[in-house]
Amino acid sequence: MKLKSILTLVRRRARVTLLPAALVLLLGPCADRAEGAAPDSETLPQITVEHGRFEPSELVVPANTAFKLRVTNKDSATIEFESFELHRERAVEPGETITVFMPSLSPGSYKFVDDFHSDTPEGVIVAR
Amino acid sequence: MNRLARCLLPIATVVVAMQGVRSPQTNPPVERDLVAPPDVKAALRGACYDCHSNQTAWPWYTAVAPASWIIHRDVDVGRKRLNFSSWGDYADDPGTLARKLDEIAQSIAAGDMAPWYYRMLHPGAQLGDVQRRSLLAWVKQERAAQTAFAH
Repeated sequence: MKLKSILTLVRRRARVTLLPAALVLLLGPCADRAEGAAPDSETLPQITVEHGRFEPSELVVPANTAFKLRVTNKDSATIEFESFELHRERAVEPGETITVFMPSLSPGSYKFVDDFHSDTPEGVIVAR
Repeated sequence: MNRLARCLLPIATVVVAMQGVRSPQTNPPVERDLVAPPDVKAALRGACYDCHSNQTAWPWYTAVAPASWIIHRDVDVGRKRLNFSSWGDYADDPGTLARKLDEIAQSIAAGDMAPWYYRMLHPGAQLGDVQRRSLLAWVKQERAAQTAFAH
């Protein structure tokens, strides 16, 4: 009799603790979607090179936070995304998208260029 | 005043006037310098560090124009392109580190670094075969470590 009541109690406790956990697991992704959270790749700051220009030519990012920057080359020639101030240098093949790990930036402006094409107007990352 | 003096005076005046155009001989703080095996570091220090680091040696002639102008330009461009004192910054982005390593390997293989006029003034900057092999082996090792880490 005593054993039976203990088992009942354990089952009730399990229901009480496991049911919310299962609900969280099941509904968690839906909740994310409901808040409009997008996959990681969509939320990263993005720069595209097209027709020999950076788009956007001025990218605003939060200051004092390291971030990942995606660079896409839509032109037909390899470009070299380079920032001397930020010590970053990456070749990007035509049609390729790369991810550049950027450091935490103090508030200010940081230039970047296509080092393979001096006629491409330079761009700037503004940390605010 | 004889003819020689008359010729030399304007030249001397121009040379003296040139000394008025000066650039500061700066060595910014070294915060994230390259960490490498001693033989690799010694080879890079001897052949590259004067232009590609914040540890430039500034002998007396680097303050005399017009040589000073050429040297300052080389150091400015050299530090912008590759600065061993900022190696830790490159390493924060694996793609940048890979690119720098590949460019070092290309320069060593092509034998185009250091420039000939620098090697004339610094005979010790000429990389020997042993040093060249050791540097290329180091680059290969670093690239392999990067690839292994990425997978």
